Amino acid sequence: MPEPTKRTMTLNLSDEEMRVLDSLAERKDLTKTAVLRQALRLYQMVSVRGERGEKLVFENEETKEKAELMLL
Amino acid sequence: MSAEVSAVFLVRGSTDELVPAELRDGIGELELQHWEHHWRPYLIERVRAMQAQGVPRAKWPQQLHWNWRLKATVAEMFLGQRGFATRCEGMTQGLMLVGLLSDARIVEQRGKPLVYVDYLEAAPWNQSSLQRPPKYRGVGSLLIHAAVTLSVEETFSGRTGLHSLPQSDTFYRNVCGMTDLGLDAAKQNLRYFEMTPEQAQVFLKKGR
Repeated sequence: MPEPTKRTMTLNLSDEEMRVLDSLAERKDLTKTAVLRQALRLYQMVSVRGERGEKLVFENEETKEKAELMLL
Repeated sequence: MSAEVSAVFLVRGSTDELVPAELRDGIGELELQHWEHHWRPYLIERVRAMQAQGVPRAKWPQQLHWNWRLKATVAEMFLGQRGFATRCEGMTQGLMLVGLLSDARIVEQRGKPLVYVDYLEAAPWNQSSLQRPPKYRGVGSLLIHAAVTLSVEETFSGRTGLHSLPQSDTFYRNVCGMTDLGLDAAKQNLRYFEMTPEQAQVFLKKGR
């Protein structure tokens, strides 16, 4: 499939942020660029749905305990 | 939205000849008009005929209630969703929506991202349960190929997952070579299938 046009930007991260990015890339078997792209997709979805009045809820698979993520 | 277009082939059902077709990255207004003005009337006519013949409801096309205009409009708002269409001889022959924010369930892949096929539908005249021979064959394989290719491009290693309508279980198991993870009570008891990176390599080597 033809590649869509891509733009390049420089990103400044702290050591801790870079450690988290490295760790996520390894655990998810992704490049660091792909992790950040996933983060942007997720943040956009959460933001749009939050603006619509929807809630983001985490449920523990075993206990069925639910926790709502508060969006500020 | 201007769609990226790739040249592909479908197989004419009546003669087995290859027919040039297009794979379009995006679902546009023309595809939605084809769905509204050609797919829907055909599907409704076939269901009426089935009803008149006393065919049980369980054997009616299971995607009857899908509203592609609504689905495509919502998907267009999100970076995490992508639409695909295939067009042949001027008519839309298949539509697919995928999500990019799901994780694999197979134990050894668990937690790693995959392309999740939310919806995939061939035009009703391409479904062998509705028309024999179908007008074109290969629409489902072509669209799954697009989903797996996207997974590779996204560095998801070809991992692809979906919940199958019962009429399509055999296709995903035997033609696509996906692993059957059983019925999913959380998703209307539909069967969940997943393709590992190794299965994706095998599937892509077969070509579209």
